[in-house]
Order: sequence, then structure tokens, then C-alpha cells
Amino acid sequence: MSGVALAQPVVEVGSGPPSSRTGVRRLAHELLRSPKGMTGAILVGLAILAAITAPVVAPHDPTDTSVRAKFAEPVFIDRSSEFPLGADNLGRDTFSRILYGARASLAIGFLVTLVAAFAGSVLGALAGYRGGFVDTLIMRAVDLQLSIPFILLAMIVLAVLGPGFWSVAIALTLALWVNYARLVRGETLRIREMEYVVSARAIGLDDRRILTRHILPNMLHSILVLATLDMAFVIIFEASLTFLGLGIQPPTPTWGFMLSEGRNYLAESPWMTLFPAMAVILTVVGINLLGDWLRDAFDPSLRNR
Amino acid sequence: MGRFLIRRLLHMFAVLVAVLIIVSLLLRLIPGDPVDAMMSGNPGMTQENMDAVRQQLGLTDPVYVQVLSYSRDLARGDMGDSLRFRTPVFPLIMEKLPATIELTVFAMLMAILIAVPLGLLTALKRDRPADYVGSIVAVIGISIPSFLLGILLIMALAVKWRIFPAAGYGGSMTGAIRELVTTGDPSALRESLRYLFLPGITLGVASAAYNARMVRSAMIEVLGQDYIRSAEAKGLARRTVIVRHALRNALIPVITILGLRIGYLLSGAFVVENVFAWPGIGRFSVQALSWRDYPTIQGIVMITALIFLTINLLVDVLYALIDPRIRLA
Repeated sequence: MSGVALAQPVVEVGSGPPSSRTGVRRLAHELLRSPKGMTGAILVGLAILAAITAPVVAPHDPTDTSVRAKFAEPVFIDRSSEFPLGADNLGRDTFSRILYGARASLAIGFLVTLVAAFAGSVLGALAGYRGGFVDTLIMRAVDLQLSIPFILLAMIVLAVLGPGFWSVAIALTLALWVNYARLVRGETLRIREMEYVVSARAIGLDDRRILTRHILPNMLHSILVLATLDMAFVIIFEASLTFLGLGIQPPTPTWGFMLSEGRNYLAESPWMTLFPAMAVILTVVGINLLGDWLRDAFDPSLRNR
Repeated sequence: MGRFLIRRLLHMFAVLVAVLIIVSLLLRLIPGDPVDAMMSGNPGMTQENMDAVRQQLGLTDPVYVQVLSYSRDLARGDMGDSLRFRTPVFPLIMEKLPATIELTVFAMLMAILIAVPLGLLTALKRDRPADYVGSIVAVIGISIPSFLLGILLIMALAVKWRIFPAAGYGGSMTGAIRELVTTGDPSALRESLRYLFLPGITLGVASAAYNARMVRSAMIEVLGQDYIRSAEAKGLARRTVIVRHALRNALIPVITILGLRIGYLLSGAFVVENVFAWPGIGRFSVQALSWRDYPTIQGIVMITALIFLTINLLVDVLYALIDPRIRLA
């Protein structure tokens, strides 16, 4: 996974949870000064905007077919075309489908990352904090998961559940939670022995409070960075599964499906492939840039470099 | 070291058993069985035919009986027969595995050949235009889904300029190399490489970009160390310092990551094979899944799991051999 080098301490020992108000303001300030972060934010912002405003902005219904409009050319080739980025083999408007496609990609990206990060972190924290049998059980599950190629596992899970949005979400979550479990377990083992945690235990706080108030907040930064980079991976992974015919099914417009259809008409109607391709690449580049920037922004050792 | 190895091997065995049980159960949960899949190709099949075939294939037994008898055969080294082809699974997989390994190894070589120079360049020219360009290329490389890169490459290099074939397999690489060595005829190798090039690049680019970033950050870290300053102060040539002192140390973490990336490459091969109609186990497993060919999928999962686990073990051992500070326990 992309987050291998992330397991570094991010908050000074004993400083407690970062105060969110000033933290967010400082971060926003830094974002404005970083070309990398800003580029990422703009690209991701555009994708989110496309997803939200699709019903208003889209010139056509994304599922409207029309024999007359089959393979209609984009506006820049044929001035009179009513399809800004051309139409596909069923006469559906490529531009409208890209806008609506952003919804599926981003929804899967956010949902899977959120659930995988939450579940993985909780299990990792439990494993690291409790140790013993709980630890063994959870870590063996991690080993199991890591010994099967994740795409093969996702394919089998999708065959069991049948293709569709929720099946893809479940299959991807099953493939991703391990990264968080490993990251958080390692960090928990380290932080557990620190003085402020030992003293929290000494004054009689219960385990749940220590975990949620004292241990987890100290690795939020690492989790957040991993989650951002993971979201890029989820979007790629979803598109790949849909491309293989196992993912979200038509008529829901998705980038993955547009690409798999466009492949059959590469020579005659390259716009069917090129524009959804650009949508995927720009979105994922945006998320990766944002994740990179976050990592640098959170890592005090990189600050003065 | 000996005790470490024994413990790890026992652990591997336990994981494989668990993988087998879970995958076998999962497969039985898939709607439709192998006979339904056969039926869709033979509309003439009657219910009696279907029941007879089910009986014959042992599909009427309870699932735990099926899994137990499979495990018993497996313990004797028999992976069972494919329900689709009615021939042993193991040779079927072994027939497809070399193509996948060729693809993965080629992608890995590409990844290293691109990553090390690119990482070195961006580290040495840090915060200068070359670094920015290199870093942008790396981010884009990581962000392109492999199937998409494959389509774009086919579009440009196969459809438009017709330099490479759009899909298919140009014959076994090992066979081609043997031919080159024995008869001195390079045409088979050339043909094999011509087909391997596009899928290999497609699979390798993401890893190349990822590794380039690893090499860059590892180099930057190492270049800041005291021993580099000492080496420079001694008056060694800059080239010597960079190659002999810095790069060698920077490559240690990169090698670990490289081992872990093999897992990613294998997973990626499943997608790339389907784009390029590459006859490896990735494409085969998509087909086997649609046939509900339980023993074949079980076999593929067991063999890939075995490869994964062995590679991880090798990486740990290698790591300890390269870096004497690490002790295996």
C-alpha cells in the first residue's frame, strides 16, 4: 500500500490531541501557499463540484439513448453538434455521463475509505492495546487477507454478492481495512508505553477512554494521510472492477464502464475513451497531490527542508 | 535463523489451511453451480442430465464433505480435476502460470530500470526543474489505472502506429531464450518480446513511479547523513560518493518495498491480462469464476497464496542478510 513510510510519530510526546481550531486554520494557510496542495485541492474540488451539480449542469440525461445521435462527434470537431464531448455507441452524451460518473467514483471512494479506516483503526488499536488472544486473532486475519491477491479476493466476494454499488463497496472495504489495522497496531504498541498513557492508566481511566482520548488522536494525522492516498487507490480499483464487468452495473453511469465500452470503438470514436480517461486521471492525480501535501504538512521533520 | 524459518513455515502452513477453508466456503456461496454454468452453453440439457452430472461431480454432498475430501486429496499432492475440462487442475494452472510470471518479472525489471535513475535524478536535482518534472511524471504514473494506460497504449502504439500487436501472446519466453541459446536464432525471442512489451510496460509503470519516489526520499535522507559529508571531505569524487556510499544505503529500504510490490504486480497482472488477452492465470481465474469451477479457483488461490507467502518470507530473510542490524527472531 502507498502508506508504508507513514508510520512516524506526528505529534510531540505529551502534547495531547492537537487543538483542532488552530490546526485547521494553520493547515488552510499552508495549503494556500503550496502549489502542490492547491493543484490537488482544485482538481478534487472540480470532481466534487461535477458530482454535486450534475443534474443542473448536464445538458442531457446520462441514460438517454438516441439512434440519431449514435457516435455523434464532439463540438470541436463538428460545430453543429449538440454533444460537447461527443456521444457513445447508444447516442448517450459523454459529457453528461462523465458528470454523473463522478458521483459513483467519489461515493465509493469516500464510503470505502471511511469505513475501512474506521474499522481497521479500531481493530488495530484493540490488537495493539489488548495484546494476547485478541491481538493474535486480529493479526492472523490480517495475514490471511494479505496472502490472497486483493483483486482475486474482491472478484470472489463480488461473485458471491452479485455485482452492484454495495457489493463493490463491501469487496473494497474487505481489501483495505488491513492497512489501517497494521498502521494503528504498530503506533498503539509504541504509544501505549509512553509516560502520558501510563499516567492516564495510573489515575484510573478506563481502557476505552484511554484509547479514544489519548491514543487514537495521536495518530489521526497518519491515518488521515493514508486514507487520502487510499481514496485514490479505491477509485482506480473500482474502475478496474467495473471495467472487468464485475463492478457497478449499467444503467448507472460510471467512468469504469464508459472506458470498457469505449475500448470497442477506439479507432472510430476515441472521445468515448479519452474524456472519461481524463476524468479518472485528473481526479486521482488531485487526490494523490493532496495526500502528498498533507503528509509533508503533518511531518515536522520535513518542515524546514 | 533456523528456528525463525521453522516458525515461519509452520505459520505459512496454518495460513494456507485457513485460506483454503475460507475460499472453499465462499465459492459455495456464489449463486449458481458449475452445472448451471454448463447448462447455459447446452440448452438441451434436461433436469435429469443436470442431476446426474451433479451426482457424478460430487456436488450433491454437503459442503464440508466436499472440502474435506478436497483437503485429503491435496495432502496427497492432488489438486483435483477441473469441473470444466475434466482434467487435473495442477497442470492446467502450471500451463498458464509462466505467462503471468513473465509478465510480472518484465514489469518489475521495467520498474527498476525506470525507478532508480529517475529517483536518483530527482533527488540530486532537488527543488530544481528536473525534480518538479520528474515528480509530476511520477504522480501521473501512480494515478493512471493500469487498464486505462493499457487502452491508451493500444490506441497509440497498436491501433494508430501499428508498432506493437494490440493483444495476445507471442509464445513462451523461456522457450524463445532456449532457442536463442541452442540455435542462435533470435526471431522467436523478438516475437515474444514484441507481444510482452505493451502489457509489461502497462503493468510496470505504477510500480516504477512508486519506486522512483521511494528512491528519491531514501536518497535525500541518506545524502544528509554525516558519513556522506565525511566521504566528501576525504576528497572522494562526487560520483563515487553518490554511487558507492549513498545509493547503496538508499537501496536497502527500497528492496523491502520492492518485495512487497510483487504482490501488487501479481494483483495488477489480473487486470492487465484481461486488457491484453494475455493467457495467464489472471485471465484464467476470471473465466474459472464464471464457470464456477471450484477446484480450479481453489487451486489458483492456493498457488498464488503460496507465492505471496514465499516472497514475503524471502524478503524478510534477504533484508536480514543485507542489513546486519536486523536480527530475525
